Amino acid sequence: MHSVGRLFAALAIAMLGWCMTLPADAADRPTPQKILRDWYYLMNELVRHTATYSPPVASRSFGYLGVTAFEAAAGGSDRLVSLVGQLQGFDSVPAREAGAVYDETVVIGAAMSDAIVYYFGNTGPTGLRAIKTAQTRWRERAIAGVPDDVVARSEAFGKAVAARIHEWSMDDGGAVVDNMGFPEEWSLPKGDDKWVPTSPIRQQQLPLLPEWGNKRTFAVPSGATCPTPGNPPYSVEPGSAFYEEAVEVYEAGRSVTPEQAAIARFWSDDPMLSMTPPGHWVSIALQVADRADLSLEDNVDLLARIGIALSDAFVGCWHAKFEYNLLRPVTYIKKVIDPKWEPLLITPPFPEYPSGHSTVSGAMDAVLTAFFGDNYAFEDMTGSPDGRNPRSFAGFHEAAEEAGISRLYGGIHFRSAIVDGLAQGRCVGDYTNALKTRK
Amino acid sequence: MRLASAGFVAVLVCAGLRAALAEGIPSPTVPSYLDETPTSGLKHTFAGEWEFMVGGGAAAFDCNADGFPEVFLAGGENRTQLFRNASAQGGALKFAAQESGLELESVSGAYPADIDGDGVTDLILLRVGENVAMRGLGECRFERANEAWGFNGGDSWWTSFAATWERGADWPTVAIGSYIDRKEEISPWGSCTDNWLLRPAGGARKFAAPVALKPSYCPLSILFTDWNRSGTPSLRVSNDREYYEGGQEQMWKIEPGRAPALYTAEEGWRFLRIWGMGIAGYDLDSDGYPEFFLSSMADNKLQKLAEVPASGTPGPGYADIAFSIGVTAHRPYTGGELKPSTAWHAEFQDVNNDGRADIFVAKGNVWEMPDFAMKDPNNLLLQKADGTFEEAGDRAGVASFRTARGGAVVDLNLDGLLDIVTVNRNDVSEVWRNTGGKADAHWMQFRLAQDSANRDAIGAWVEVRCAGTVLRREITIGGGHAGGHLGWVHFGLGSDTEADLRVIWPDGQAGEWQRLAADSFYVVERGKPPIRWQPK
Repeated sequence: MHSVGRLFAALAIAMLGWCMTLPADAADRPTPQKILRDWYYLMNELVRHTATYSPPVASRSFGYLGVTAFEAAAGGSDRLVSLVGQLQGFDSVPAREAGAVYDETVVIGAAMSDAIVYYFGNTGPTGLRAIKTAQTRWRERAIAGVPDDVVARSEAFGKAVAARIHEWSMDDGGAVVDNMGFPEEWSLPKGDDKWVPTSPIRQQQLPLLPEWGNKRTFAVPSGATCPTPGNPPYSVEPGSAFYEEAVEVYEAGRSVTPEQAAIARFWSDDPMLSMTPPGHWVSIALQVADRADLSLEDNVDLLARIGIALSDAFVGCWHAKFEYNLLRPVTYIKKVIDPKWEPLLITPPFPEYPSGHSTVSGAMDAVLTAFFGDNYAFEDMTGSPDGRNPRSFAGFHEAAEEAGISRLYGGIHFRSAIVDGLAQGRCVGDYTNALKTRK
Repeated sequence: MRLASAGFVAVLVCAGLRAALAEGIPSPTVPSYLDETPTSGLKHTFAGEWEFMVGGGAAAFDCNADGFPEVFLAGGENRTQLFRNASAQGGALKFAAQESGLELESVSGAYPADIDGDGVTDLILLRVGENVAMRGLGECRFERANEAWGFNGGDSWWTSFAATWERGADWPTVAIGSYIDRKEEISPWGSCTDNWLLRPAGGARKFAAPVALKPSYCPLSILFTDWNRSGTPSLRVSNDREYYEGGQEQMWKIEPGRAPALYTAEEGWRFLRIWGMGIAGYDLDSDGYPEFFLSSMADNKLQKLAEVPASGTPGPGYADIAFSIGVTAHRPYTGGELKPSTAWHAEFQDVNNDGRADIFVAKGNVWEMPDFAMKDPNNLLLQKADGTFEEAGDRAGVASFRTARGGAVVDLNLDGLLDIVTVNRNDVSEVWRNTGGKADAHWMQFRLAQDSANRDAIGAWVEVRCAGTVLRREITIGGGHAGGHLGWVHFGLGSDTEADLRVIWPDGQAGEWQRLAADSFYVVERGKPPIRWQPK
């Protein structure tokens, strides 16, 4: 199995080769699935290094990027079925010229080369520099030995697909993210059980993306499609369900084992400090795809499905979060149980219920298990560059469950948010699984 | 945590302010700054592409022994420039570019320090490439001293500098911060190169070979500071989270004769990850320990020791009090943009001489980053009587929308009022003259000297007592963003016309309290009474 570290190393070696001034050699041309994964690795770096990329925003981009890659490949495949008509508001996509020759590496490269600018054009100077370098050098390799007319036709098609998907994305309610997602004004609901800011960061005195739950979805009809049952009734009475859930978080924090702390940190996936929870799951998918040496068609099918499910999961989760507006464990525990208690992880700046990481992990359990099957063992090296040890899983279900409970070990979620979030995500994932992508 | 307790307030204010406190909390006096960039003769641009998106430091120091600080500005892809200070005391700011031997390219910053202890200030040039130590020759002439001093300039993207004199040493220890591997084009993230510590070579008045401070996390500011008043400064390192993997803010124990060691979580160091751009230190609450302002993107931090024990030295845990006292400076306060700010050089100085340290922050977009403010005004945060701060950059006249990086808040015309210089990326540098505010606000300035290798008494603490309140600051080389100043140490006194001075010298020996008249400069030589100084 390839690890992320080894993949990064392989990518670096490939880049090094591409940096050489020797003429591009047709024999070294990347396969379309290889160039697709390389662009995805770069985009996952940009998720970490682009200030607007909170987890919901990242999930949205992965949704459109997945559809872009899928439609670029589907146009030339006799096995794939377009998603046109199956996704909310997605009513057309460019077609290829009948009988004309296209090169799939060039098509995918061109589509991703433009898409990365559409979705990460607001990244910093270093990211923009990396994009420009990749566009130039990776293109040189992609077109090596390909007839000019085929290059021109293939690039035009790839670009057209990327442009069409981007055009479709612009009116979904999530295209513009100001102030890193924090609203200038927002009325915080009042009540003992309601969320209050937990951070001394001025920007985070209002919750992140409070209207994200109303954003247009991909495969599910709306953010309300997969509701959650709601948190236990708020109470400060010992013995009440709410109190006992808080005590569970409190005690878990006080007696956290090294293994539990490692789990919490492994799935922490903080924005701006990691590739976020959606990026983490994309990283898992890329590792598994690389190990399985998936074909282009399988690759684009996989990336489209996980992108769609990630995005829909966050919309559903955010819809519920701002329906319940529940306070975070740190607020409750400091007020009711122990004023000196501190969680292991950084408490995110938005309401608690349900857990976002749990919802997307539930969705990924549903989609990846449907794609690869039960008990598909894998090793996840995602956190290795940051010094975290890899973790092995017997299957995607196990990984999703661990991602969920990690938030309790980390002190940022009650158990109900985790259990209900995982269920909500699986509901969302079922809609993605119902998409028809194969003839 | 809120600091606006009665106890906190009591130690902040001098006598003339107590009455105001009792009657409420008035807004501070807003100083008036006059933009003298067009007339001052300070014509300079820090320019460059990706490798100069950070840096752009300013250094202020006196290199011709007339008491007026000269101004040195990094040039990036342009040559650096030294501007001789031709101002008259109390007059308009005047500068003349002077050939000095410092005219190098690829310079991102500079810090003045008397490295060889000869009484003439030297300059360390931070570069993208090889750092250069420039020995001061007097009359603002300099010569390369890398070879003579054993100063290994390396080959890196150098960003930050700090110096200290370790106990018993006759040669400084310097730390130099390094940024990302500039040869990495597609994936530079996680490529932070090694910071270096250069200690004295045993028995020789020169540097030993550099020691890598591993792990290194792409700092943009570093500072030796005796944060716990143990007598042994530690090295604070503020790192840019954009580029490290697995990193955080750091503080190194630099103990004589021992290898550097990081403070750990077990010792109380608290995990913090920011876009660390600059460090400024000052004992804001007069508890004897410095607070630290850490500039960043969006919210800035103001760190105060989380716990100060009744006895013994405190642990290295810091709490962020920026929000509670109003210094987050997280987005523009004028100009109409609401996107987050980008902060670089930061400095504590009393710009209105009211006896309370204020904060100047140089602001500017990294490089057309659309999610951050493009019109990002500098901050001038004035401290109020209750210890909170109020923004006054626009009212004071320093709310420039140019893309600032480095800066210096320094009395350029020796009138007791602190002027401001900023270095802007791909734009002209700016200079503002402080033309005053409240008429009855007084001040004192000091220059320390001791007969040792550490001539300027780096590491000393200067204390000024007025009506039982002690204002206190540490003499350091480092911090800010890519530049600093060496020379007069300024204190505002409010309405007090006299104050007591005491110096705690770098070896911990405390001098005697000395009663001094306000509105004067003093040369304070160790073991001797302060000597009043006036420009010739």
